Amino acid sequence: MPSLTVKKRLRLFEILAAAVLLTAVFAASLAPFDPSVQNLQQALQGPSLQHLLGTDNYGRDLLSRVILGARTSVLATLGLVGLISLTGTCVGACCGYVGGKLDASLMRVSDVFLAFPGLVFAIAVAGVWGGGVLNAVLALAAISWPKYARLVRGQVLVQKEQEYVQAAKLDGAGWLRILTLFILPNVVNTVLITAILDFGTMLMEIAGLSFLGLGAQPPTPEWGSMMSGGRSLIQTSPWTILAPGGAIFLTVGIFNLLGDTLRDYLDPQQKSKEE
Amino acid sequence: MLKKFTSRSRIVLAALLTLLAIVCLTGCGGTKPAPQEGAAQGKEKVFVYGTTAYGPEMSDAGLNPHDSYSGWSAVRYGVGETLFKFNDAMEPVPWLATKFERLDDYTLKIYLRDNVTFTSGRKLDGAAVKECLDDLLAKHDRAPKDLQIKEIKAEGQTVTITSKAKVPALLNYLSDPYGAIIDMKAGVSKDKNVAGTGPFVAQKVGDKEITLVKNKNYWGGTVKMDKVIVRTITDGDTLTMALQSGEIDATQGLPYASLALFQDKVKYNISSVDTSRSFFAALNFSTPALQDIRVRKAIAMGIDKDGFTKVLLKGNGTPAVGAFPASFAFGDKAVKAPGYDPEGAKKLLAEAGWKDTNGDGFVDKYGQNLTIRWLTYPGRKELPLLAESVQATLKSIGIDVKVNSTANHRDFLKRGEWDIYASALVTAPTGDPAYFFTATTLASSVNNRGKYHSDNLEALAQQMAAAFDPAQRAQLAVQMQQQILDDAAFIFASHLKMSFVMKKNVTGFVAHPSDYYEITADLDKV
Repeated sequence: MPSLTVKKRLRLFEILAAAVLLTAVFAASLAPFDPSVQNLQQALQGPSLQHLLGTDNYGRDLLSRVILGARTSVLATLGLVGLISLTGTCVGACCGYVGGKLDASLMRVSDVFLAFPGLVFAIAVAGVWGGGVLNAVLALAAISWPKYARLVRGQVLVQKEQEYVQAAKLDGAGWLRILTLFILPNVVNTVLITAILDFGTMLMEIAGLSFLGLGAQPPTPEWGSMMSGGRSLIQTSPWTILAPGGAIFLTVGIFNLLGDTLRDYLDPQQKSKEE
Repeated sequence: MLKKFTSRSRIVLAALLTLLAIVCLTGCGGTKPAPQEGAAQGKEKVFVYGTTAYGPEMSDAGLNPHDSYSGWSAVRYGVGETLFKFNDAMEPVPWLATKFERLDDYTLKIYLRDNVTFTSGRKLDGAAVKECLDDLLAKHDRAPKDLQIKEIKAEGQTVTITSKAKVPALLNYLSDPYGAIIDMKAGVSKDKNVAGTGPFVAQKVGDKEITLVKNKNYWGGTVKMDKVIVRTITDGDTLTMALQSGEIDATQGLPYASLALFQDKVKYNISSVDTSRSFFAALNFSTPALQDIRVRKAIAMGIDKDGFTKVLLKGNGTPAVGAFPASFAFGDKAVKAPGYDPEGAKKLLAEAGWKDTNGDGFVDKYGQNLTIRWLTYPGRKELPLLAESVQATLKSIGIDVKVNSTANHRDFLKRGEWDIYASALVTAPTGDPAYFFTATTLASSVNNRGKYHSDNLEALAQQMAAAFDPAQRAQLAVQMQQQILDDAAFIFASHLKMSFVMKKNVTGFVAHPSDYYEITADLDKV
């Protein structure tokens, strides 16, 4: 029985993370103004009752843009994390279970990718392919999957020597059945925690590419590109950069704490300590 | 456990705040202040100038005037001088020359100053000028076509230029920075340094920084500053902070939003001037939708030039009508173009058969939305602002604008992957209107990327090529602009107001309408 406090923390961060995800999904309905409509007479207004987070240099409501930005930033991150965790898990599971030449060749490929500095590689790829959220996601996916492949391969190597796997083999189960029904359920927790902890990093990397002009293109609101747009206004109209920056800060914080708490919750050693 | 949670949160919060403080302090500090040796100590006077306008991206790296736009750097930073220079009204007046004589429509005799020496020590005479102009004609990409020189004869302190055709604007073209006179016997060094006649000698020339020292034998009087460092800082915010922290003494190219930070007249001076640098869009006549003049006119009427200039450029420019600012006789006051009129634009689109039949907010025809690929580049910070502003205003009349703001824009131009190309150009770099038309709008123009053609414009251009009278040239320039505006082939958004921002103790640093003369003998720190 896990500690009630850990459970409460988990619940709290689950609720907060769900709130972020729901905001992203229902962004269009939640935004008080059309985020792409310009009103130059209202440019660079500070936070007020009408515009809670102020307006940008085009007179667009920043709260609406931050909310719509959640759709781009959070959903793109979700897609990216899903893509790399799935790809990495499949590759790692096959390599770990099958071994031999397949394992050796795929692991050397992953070594090559791991050797590159992640964001630099993504900048190069996004630079060649051109701007856009999809390209930014694919560029980051290309460099980020090996981490999961390594993780899952290690876990599978341990699990496949376990007695329950030997028993399944004796029972005549095929490799696919053993992997999917017996081994992967024992690996999935680690992948899940890593994926949630990665969410913040990936969100910042997508925002970073957009900040550099390689991610979301105007007028799509995205937190990184919004920060880039407000950069030259930081001394005169700081709300233009604080609003998207705060959104990134909160989202990354929530998902990091959620991953941390989930690890505490699922970690048997942590459980026994708390008991 | 709750206690543990609380204390952990505090630790995380404290760590984040510490990190934030470190980042802020790192951003504020760490910059080397500009050397403070001033007149008070009687030591070397050093002026550090931060600019966004120097380097390979601007095609003006180095100081060799016979290479691309590097002549701009030679003249801007006080190394090179031309035979004639522009006054504040953008009229050519003698500089290294003392006077000129038109022997006939094809022949010009130029008399040179007798007291000028190159920084190599050689005296400036007719032979030196001929050598330099011969090399210019052999190597430069634009000069031969502009100057149309058939023969140059040197005799003592005179040069006589004979043209292949009538070149009424020859004096203007000789005032272009590519016409900076350098000592060809001294040649061009590997680092693109040259021996000019200006108030400064380049000691070190790089792609990001030039170090200049005073020319002690300058013909034009005493040079007040001992040393000048021209430093490329392409990021506007870095430039802002460099001036705030005192790392540089003066700058050009600050983001408009930053100008508000330097309004304290006790600490800073700002020198501003209207220039002929125009932000304008060329329409691609290969795009089927844009072949309909009603669509082109609707686009022109759907752009809020006033809002762009007043709000997004913060008043650092004037809304444009035509290619030239109102300060020219053939400028904006003399031509007419449709103003911002979204309702009128919608009507024109409807007349052209573009209507929103599926309710998606964009007009369509034969099942296709009216989508415009707006190509531009971020090198001029005004252009992405214009693109995003246009995207919103054209959306309100039902046109879907896809912005592609990329440093790689030339490749997209080559591949034809664009419908409207927005760029910045100094439309009258020589004070004469012919340059803009010959470079951009005629069938033979290198930069007529949209393949615009008008028989009337071509005929007017031929008349201009033979007209020596400035009043007649101005009249023709008005007619030619009106033609391209009536055809909605080009849309002019704004003319730039250029500002130099400097510390209060800097004097003799004045913005010029030509955008050429920056570092001069008068530059001083008091």
